[in-house]
Amino acid sequence: MIEKLARKVAILFGRKRFRRDLDEEMAYHRAQAEQELVDGGMTPESARFAAMRQFGNATRLKEHSHEAVSFWFEHLWQDFRYAIRQLMRSPGFAAAVVGTLALGIGATTAIFTLVYATLLRSLPFPEADRIVRIHDVRLQGQSTGGLVGAARYYDLEARSKLFESTGFFIFDETTLIAGTQLPVSVRGTAINAGFWSIFGVQPMLGRTFNERDDQPNAPHVAVLSYKAWRQIFGGDPSVVGRQVTIEKISTMIVGVMPESFNVPNGIDLWRPAQFNPSQWNTYRGDGTRFLNMVARLKPGVTVAMAESDLKRIGAQLALEHPSTDGKWQFDTMSLRDDLYGQLRPALAALLIASGFLLLIACLNVANLLLTRATGRQREVALRRALGASAGRIRLQFLTESTVLALAGGCAGLALTWILVHAVASKLPGRLGAPGTVEMSWPVVWFAFAVSVASGIAFGLAPALRQKSGALMASLKQGERSLAGTAGGRVRNAFIAVQVGLSLVLLVGASLLAQSMWNLLKSPLGFAPDHVLTFRTVLPWNADAAAIRSFYGDVQRRIASLPGVDAVGQISALPTEDWHLRTTYDADWMPRSVHKDAVNVEVRAISGDYLPAIGTPLLAGRPLTGADASATATSVLVNRAFVREYGPNQNLIGRHLFSDDGPMEIVGVIGDVRGTAGSIAHETGPEMYFSADGQHPVTRRSFVVRTAVPPEQLIQAIREQVHGADPQQAISDVQTMDDRLDQSVAQPRVNMALMASFALIALLLACVGIYGVVAWSVAQRVQEIGVRMALGATRGQILRLFVRRTAWAALTGVAAGTCAALFLTRLLRSQLYGVAPDNPWIYSASILLLLFPLLIATVRPALRGASVNPVDALRAE
Amino acid sequence: MLILKTLTRAPLHGYGIALSIKRLSDDVLTVEEGSLYPALQRLLLQGWVKAEWKMTETNRRARFYTLTAAGRKQLGIELTQFEQMIMAIGRVLKDAEA
Repeated sequence: MIEKLARKVAILFGRKRFRRDLDEEMAYHRAQAEQELVDGGMTPESARFAAMRQFGNATRLKEHSHEAVSFWFEHLWQDFRYAIRQLMRSPGFAAAVVGTLALGIGATTAIFTLVYATLLRSLPFPEADRIVRIHDVRLQGQSTGGLVGAARYYDLEARSKLFESTGFFIFDETTLIAGTQLPVSVRGTAINAGFWSIFGVQPMLGRTFNERDDQPNAPHVAVLSYKAWRQIFGGDPSVVGRQVTIEKISTMIVGVMPESFNVPNGIDLWRPAQFNPSQWNTYRGDGTRFLNMVARLKPGVTVAMAESDLKRIGAQLALEHPSTDGKWQFDTMSLRDDLYGQLRPALAALLIASGFLLLIACLNVANLLLTRATGRQREVALRRALGASAGRIRLQFLTESTVLALAGGCAGLALTWILVHAVASKLPGRLGAPGTVEMSWPVVWFAFAVSVASGIAFGLAPALRQKSGALMASLKQGERSLAGTAGGRVRNAFIAVQVGLSLVLLVGASLLAQSMWNLLKSPLGFAPDHVLTFRTVLPWNADAAAIRSFYGDVQRRIASLPGVDAVGQISALPTEDWHLRTTYDADWMPRSVHKDAVNVEVRAISGDYLPAIGTPLLAGRPLTGADASATATSVLVNRAFVREYGPNQNLIGRHLFSDDGPMEIVGVIGDVRGTAGSIAHETGPEMYFSADGQHPVTRRSFVVRTAVPPEQLIQAIREQVHGADPQQAISDVQTMDDRLDQSVAQPRVNMALMASFALIALLLACVGIYGVVAWSVAQRVQEIGVRMALGATRGQILRLFVRRTAWAALTGVAAGTCAALFLTRLLRSQLYGVAPDNPWIYSASILLLLFPLLIATVRPALRGASVNPVDALRAE
Repeated sequence: MLILKTLTRAPLHGYGIALSIKRLSDDVLTVEEGSLYPALQRLLLQGWVKAEWKMTETNRRARFYTLTAAGRKQLGIELTQFEQMIMAIGRVLKDAEA
C-alpha cells in the first residue's frame, strides 16, 4: 500500500518523464506496426494510417494511462490551470464577470455580516441563552418602554423559583469630577449586585461589586467602562482604588470592565443602587417605573417556562393589588430578542434583497458564459475530436465558472471588508457598538460557500448546453442556424427573471424611500431648525431650593446671550427614548376602579419652552414662572389628550387629581411627535407641568432657539453653566436637527441599502438585456441582410428584436408585481404612512424600471436595423 | 492476466506484448492495441511489473517490461481464480447437457 503510494508520488513529481516515456513507447509501437505492414506489402502511407487506426486514439489513451496512476486532484488542478489560462486570454470577459459577481456576493456577504452579528452569533456572555429581559407591559394603552416598578421587581424576585439571579439597571446620568479635572457628564447606571452574576463577565481591572457594596449606606463604589476609562482617565491602570466625586459624593473606583462589555449600551460607569427592598412596597403607581429588568434562568429552564411562571406571579399580584398591578403583565424575552429583535424584519428583508441581487448577477454571468460558450464551440469540438470526453469538458466548464465565482467571491469579500471597516462603527444604535459588526471566519466561509454555489449555478447553463454529437457541424465554421436558437429562449427567460427581481427591489426601495419622506416631511409639531439642546443633571437628592435657583440662574444667563431668541427647559426632549407615564382621575369623567380615568405621558417644562421648541399653544395660556410657586398646580395638555379624553368639550379649567392634590388644565398645545422616542409612533395623550414646582426636576434638557447658527453658541453656553455652578457639567450638546437625524438613522440605513441594491440590480438588468439583444443581433446579421434584401423595412427589423425582449420584460414585470405584492408585506413594520400595496409606488417603480430597459433594448436593436444588407450578405 | 502471462517467459516491450497476445490467441483477441498502455501503467503502479529502457534487436530504444515476484504471485492467484471459474462454467454446462 505504502509502496504504491510512493510510486504514485514519484509519478506525480516525475510526470514530465512519465509523459515522455509514454510518448516514445507509443511512437515506437506505431513505427513497428507500420514497418510490419510495409513489409507485408502495403504502401507506406496507407500503412501509417492503418497502424494509427489499429493503435486507437493516442491522446485519449495517454490520458487514460495517466489517469490510471494519478491522484484524483491532479485532474482538478489541470482543469484549474487550464481555466486560469483561458481567462487570462480574455481579461475583459473575466473582469466583467468578476466585477458583476463581486457586487452580488459583496452585497450578500455584507448583509450576512449584519445578520451574523445580531441574530446568529452567540452573545459575548457565558451561556447567553439563559439571560432574559423582563418587561412590564400595560394591558391597555401605551406602555413605558418595558420599565418595571421597584415594588413589582422585588415581588418577582421573592416569588419566582426559576431564576438563578435577577438584576436591574437604571439609567442615571451624573456628573463626575476626577481630581482637579473639570466636571464631566457621564452616562451612569445604577444596578444591583446580582446584575454582575447574570452576565458573568469578569472585570479587566480590579473587581465588580458585591452584596455588601449594594447595602444602603455602604461606602460608595463605581466600576468604569473601558470607554470611560480611556476617555476620562487616559487608560491609567492605577485608577482602581482612586476616590472621585460622582454626583457630589466621594466614590471609590473599584474596577474597569473590558471593552466588549456594553450593558446597557454606551454606558460609562456602573454604581450600586443600594436599594432597600422593603422601602418600595408603597410605590406601586404608574409614575414609579424605572427599572430595566434582566435575569439569568436556572440551568434547564426555558424562556417559555419562565414566561408561564411570570404569568402566574403577575396574576397573583393583580389579585393583591388590583388598582395598580391589575393593569400590567410581565413579558419575558431572550436577551438576543431584546437587543436585536426589532432589527429582525429589516434584516430579513435586506437579506432577501441582497439574495435577489446575487441572483441577478448570476444570471448576467450565465448570459455572458452562454455567449462565450457559443464562441467556443469550435474549441470544444476540437477538444472532443482530440479525445476529450463530454463529461470531462463539462467538468472543465464548471471548473472555469467556479474559478470565476471564487475570484468574484474574493473581490466581494474585499468589498465587504472595506465596507465593514469604513462604516461598522458609524452604524446607528446597538449595531455601532464596538465588536458588534466585524469580519469573522463564519462570514468568510459564508462568502466562500455562496461563491462556490453560484459558480456551479451559473456554470450549469453553458455546461449543460455542451451537447454530445454534432461535432462535424460545429467544426465547420460559418454554419449558423437561422432565427432563435434554444439559447435565445433561455436568455429570454433570464431577462424575465432579472426584470422581475429588479422590480421587487425597486418597489421595496421606493416604499422605504416614501416612508422616509413621510417621516421627515409630515408635521413634527415643533420647529427643529436653529435649535441647540443640551442636558444637565443635578444629584437626585439635591435641595429643592438649590435646584430651582441653579436652573433659574442658567435660564437667565443663556437668555441674555446675544443671538438667543428663546430658552426653555424640559425633562426629556422629543426623540428621546424616555418614559414617564402616570394615571390620574379627572373631574369630568366618572371614577372607576377598573378603568383608568386618564393615562398620560408626563413632561416637566420651565422657562419659555413652547416658543423655544416651536410648539403652538392652541388654547388657554402657557405656564409661567408664577405657576411654579402657586399652591394650585397648573398643567398643559396636548391635542391628543383632548381628542382622547374630552372631545367636543372645553377642558380648560377642568381638574386632574394626583396624590399631591388637584391640577388645573390651563392650556392646550399642539401634538409633538417623538415624545417617548421614535417619531414614527402616533402621538398619545401628554401632560406638561412646571419643572420648578413642589418637587423640582433634577434632569433637564435646555432648548435654545437662536437667530445665529446654533453651533456658534456652544462655547458661550458652556461658560455660562460653569459660571452658574463650577461643579456642573453639560452633556449631549446637539442641534435639534441632528437629533432628528439620529432618530431616523436606522430607517435611513435600511432605505439606503435597499436603494443601492435596487440601483445595482437595475444596472445589472440593463447590462444583461443589452448583452442579450446585442448578441442576438450579432448572431442574425446575415438573416437581417436576407430579410432586408427581400424587402423588410428597418422598422420591421427593429420590431423583430424589440418584440421578443419586450415580451420577456413584460412577463418579468407581471411576475415581479405579484412577487412584490407578496414580499413587501415583510416590510410592513418598516413603513410609515404608506401601504405595502400602494398602487402609485408600483406604477412609479414599473416606469422607473422600464425606461432604462427600453433604452438597453432599443440601442442594440437599432444597430441591427441599421445593418447594410449588402455588407451583411457579403460577409458570408 | 494476459499481459502478466506473456511476460513469464521473457521481458518484452509494449509492441512485443501486443504481438504475442495476438499471435498466441491466433488473432482472436485483437483489441485496440493502444489500450495496452493504460493497463501497463496500472501494473507498474501495483508493482507487478518493472520497466527499463533497453536497446532492441533493431537498435532502437524501447521500454521492456519484466515480471516481478509480486507479479508472479498475482498471476498465480488470477490463474487459479480463472481456472476455478472455467471449471464452474464447465460444470454448469455439463449439468445442463445431462
